[in-house]
Formats: sequence, C-alpha cells, structure tokens
Amino acid sequence: MIAGKTWREIRMIGLAYILILEMLAIPVLMLWPDIYADLQRSTLFRSLGVDWIKRLGSGISQRNEEVAYLNWCAVMLFFRSTNLVGTAASVLIGTGLFAREREANTLEFLLARPISRSSLLWQKFWPCAVVVTAPIFIVNATAIPWSWQLELDLPKWELFLASLHAAIFALAFLTLTMYVSIIVRVQAHVAAIVGAFAVLQIGMYLTQRIRPYSLFRLVDFDWYAPIMTGNTPAWQMFDPIRSHGFTTYLIAATVLLYVLSWRAIHRTEP
Amino acid sequence: MSDELIRIAGLQKSYDQHDVLHDINLSIHRGQLLGLIGPNGAGKSTLLRCLVGLVQRSGGELSLFGRDPATHSLEIRRQACYLPGETGVYHQMTGARFLKFALGFYAKQSLQLKERLLEQFQLPLNQKVRSYSAGMKQKLALIATLVPDVALYLLDEPDRGLDASVRFYLRDVLRTLKDQGKTIVLSSHHLSEVETLADRLEFLLNGRFVSNERLQRARAQLRRQPRIRLRSGHTLPDGAKLIRTEPDGILVVETDNDPMQWLQSFPQGAVASAEVGVDRLEDLYQLLLQDEVTPHCGVGDQTSAAEVAGGDA
Repeated sequence: MIAGKTWREIRMIGLAYILILEMLAIPVLMLWPDIYADLQRSTLFRSLGVDWIKRLGSGISQRNEEVAYLNWCAVMLFFRSTNLVGTAASVLIGTGLFAREREANTLEFLLARPISRSSLLWQKFWPCAVVVTAPIFIVNATAIPWSWQLELDLPKWELFLASLHAAIFALAFLTLTMYVSIIVRVQAHVAAIVGAFAVLQIGMYLTQRIRPYSLFRLVDFDWYAPIMTGNTPAWQMFDPIRSHGFTTYLIAATVLLYVLSWRAIHRTEP
Repeated sequence: MSDELIRIAGLQKSYDQHDVLHDINLSIHRGQLLGLIGPNGAGKSTLLRCLVGLVQRSGGELSLFGRDPATHSLEIRRQACYLPGETGVYHQMTGARFLKFALGFYAKQSLQLKERLLEQFQLPLNQKVRSYSAGMKQKLALIATLVPDVALYLLDEPDRGLDASVRFYLRDVLRTLKDQGKTIVLSSHHLSEVETLADRLEFLLNGRFVSNERLQRARAQLRRQPRIRLRSGHTLPDGAKLIRTEPDGILVVETDNDPMQWLQSFPQGAVASAEVGVDRLEDLYQLLLQDEVTPHCGVGDQTSAAEVAGGDA
C-alpha cells in the first residue's frame, strides 16, 4: 500500500528521468561518425596536460573505431549521463521520502498505522530504487539499436555490467539521501546537505591532487572503459582483494546506509 | 482476563533534559472513555504518543492490552487507532483515495459507521484534499480513525477545527462507540463537552495529573466567580471582590456566597450581561497554575469591590 503510494508520487519523475537520459544519449550516439572523424584530425587531447583527460581523449580517438566507440559510450552514457542525471534523480527522489512526510505532518499518521517501521522503510525504498536504477538499464539497452544505425555493435554483457555498476552507484546515492531524509527534519535541508556533498565530490574529482579521494573516482572513464571493452571481467568488478572491486564497495556502502536508515527510522519520533 | 486495558505507572518523558511528563499513574478499563484535559504544552499529546509507541518513555511502566508499547508497538497499533493532534492527510490525494489508503491498513472496518460519517460530513471525496478547509481535513482524518473496527481509540483533540454542530455529532458517535464496548482516550480543550461524555476526567498540567480534589476545589471557586458587564455609572455592590477587569470591560469577581443571590442585589438595569457557573477552561488553567506557583494564596489581586466605585464598565 505504501509502496503503491510511493510509486504514484515518483512515477512522473521516473518518466522524466528516462526521457532526459534518452535525450542525452541519442545525439552523442548519432553524431559519432562526425565526432570520430574530427578526433582523428585533432591533436587537442594529446596536447592537454591533465592526465585523465589525455587518457580519455586517446581512448575515444583510437585507430580501431569499434574500440573508440566503446570508449565513447563509456564516457557519454556512463561517465556523463548516468553519473550526473542518476545522482540528481536519486537526490530529487530521496529528499522527500521522510522529510516531506514530517513537514506535512503525515509521518505521525504513517507511524501510527499498524505497519512495522522496517516495512515502512522498505516499502518506501524499493519503488524509488526501481525508479532510479531501471532507467539506466533501459536507456543503455536502447543504445544497442541506435548503434546498429551506425553499423556498430555494442556488446550486450559488457553494457549490462557497466549499467549494473552505474545503477548501484545511483542506488548508493539514493540510500544516502534517504538516510539524511530520516535524520534531518526539513526537506530543503536534506537537498542542501546531499547536494553540497555531491558538488564537493565533483569538485574533488576535478582537482588533480585529491581526485583519488573523490567518490566519482569509482564511476569515471578509467573504470567504465575497461568494462565496456571487455578488459575488466565481472569478477574484477566484485573482487576487492585480487582487483579493484569498486562495485562491491558501492554495494557495501548501499547496504551500510540502508542499515543506518533502518536504525534511524526505528529511533525517529514524529 | 483482566479488564484493565491501559496501565501506566510512574510514566516519565523528557526531551533534552526538559521534563514533559512526570510520574503519571493511570489505569483505564475496557469500555471506559477517559477525557484528558489540559492547556497547550501540558503533555497530553506526548502521553498519547507514548501510549501508541510513537515516542519512547524515559521512565516508568506502561502497558496496553498487557503489552509494552516500547517493544510491542505493532501489536498494539493493530488493536488501537490513533488520531494525531496535527491533522496529517495527503494533500495530493483525493478524499476517496486517502480514505482507501488509510483504511486499507486495517483488517476490520465498521462500514455502517463509515456510511453514517460520510453522509453527515458531506465531504467532496472526488476533490483533492489540498482544496479542503481545515475542518474538512479534520473530518477526513476522523473518518480514517473511527471507521477501523479496533478495541481502543486514542484521539488527540478530535474536535479541532470543527464547528459546534459537528462537535455535538462527534460526541454522539463517540458515545455509540463507547456503548459498543470500545475504549476511548480523548484529549480536548472543550471541558464541558468532554465532561458530558467521559466516564473519567483527568486534568494534565505541566506534565502532572491534577488531583481530583484540587480540580473540584478550583471549579467550586470558579463557580463563585461570575463575569459581569455593568452599565455605565453603576458600581459593584458589597459581597464580592474584583479579581480582574478584562480588556473588553468584563469584570470577573469572586462572591462570598451564592453568585445568583449576589446578582439580585444589583439595582434594576445595572447589569448589561452576566455569566454564572460556566467552567471556562482558560480560567481553570489560570487558577490551577496560580495554585501551583503559590498554593497557599488566594486568587488574583483581591481588589475590593469598593475600590472600583464609579465602575469603568
């Protein structure tokens, strides 16, 4: 019942989120032949001093067009679209989950119903989790038929793995926002706190010296490109001992934040 | 099986070292209707929230249906329906959808009561709740609270925002529920209305129950305090002390004997209006609060009637 209510509240945001992701994807995919031709002529990326931009540039301007296209998709579909739009959607959807209920005096109404707080948390969380993650899989899957128009193939399994990682990153942000929404009483304050945190992380990413400490280091070109080109197999995404295992870190963060949210909702008073 | 449905012993609740409830002791039996009276901030809402397990107590013992709300809140909420003091309804829903949502949590509902309330309240159920007035929202919240067929109803100011006719109707509904054996705890600011309905009345002041003796003493004192408005040029006769003059010119006095007899001592046409024997809750609060601060003093600034000669009424 609460899941149904939550779904009705966020479904339009979910639809807008899909449309935005798709609208960001189509032009960059369709314009690839022209962009690739320009990249072959340009030496701009090679002359840049910032190492990660240099790597990105050399990745998308490789002689082998199929590999260059996979790198291009890693940059445009994941590094740009899902990171930014996914984070924004998670924050937008997550801020209202509990803080808005509190502001509207409906949290007390909900907490007084015969439903456990664990169930209340879960029924509010899972529709949001679906709305935040499903569009990432859907939109990236549509990249396959769009690529056929260019007579290029996207590998389905690698695309799925990259989408899975992007979806878990968005989920981690959603869970963080939900946690803040429980412990902070005003929705605008929740948005300000999580928004400031995201902006700080992006700022850190853009600063060479402290870039390794930014959360966006877990979801950048250096991570997605090897997945898309098949150089990072699935086990390396999940194995933090023998490889980087960034996906496992994100799953662990999501679980930890969910447990913190569970603890907070059990302690909260209207 | 014990007839006792709610048992409270030495209940305490504090927020950041500020005590809201102190040493509350109470026992409510099945089928009883308890009226909780008290000024704003007295702790009525906190007490109801403790009962339903929404807030955790700081000390003491509490049990509903033989269970502790701190550990068995869900089981208690399956058998009890709570109306919060702040009306919490979803503005983006239509009235009909809100009722479907709110009532959907309960396995059993009284459809007859639902029909009755919907007919009486005449709510535009197809409209969004955001277009409702405060009174309409309260009526919607009342339907959502009273229709579930549960054993206990905890109502925090159910008459908030309702006009007199709806309040009287609500009183009838609560009486019907009581006659059906339901237990009801309700807080209100309308002393006389609660009094006609409740089996018991508890007066909460600064987080403590006021003893029945003290309450009766204060009410007896109030009954000797008529409120009168004098016509210009008239003065108060002997046999009464002026307690205060209110901004609208009404004199609140305390008579030595029966106030009705005292009123008869006025010359013809001297009194423009008089109110005798009405329990005004705000006066009662004031009296009890004064009593709390200075328990051995009398009431007000005991100005003698003679001092208001020439009366500015």
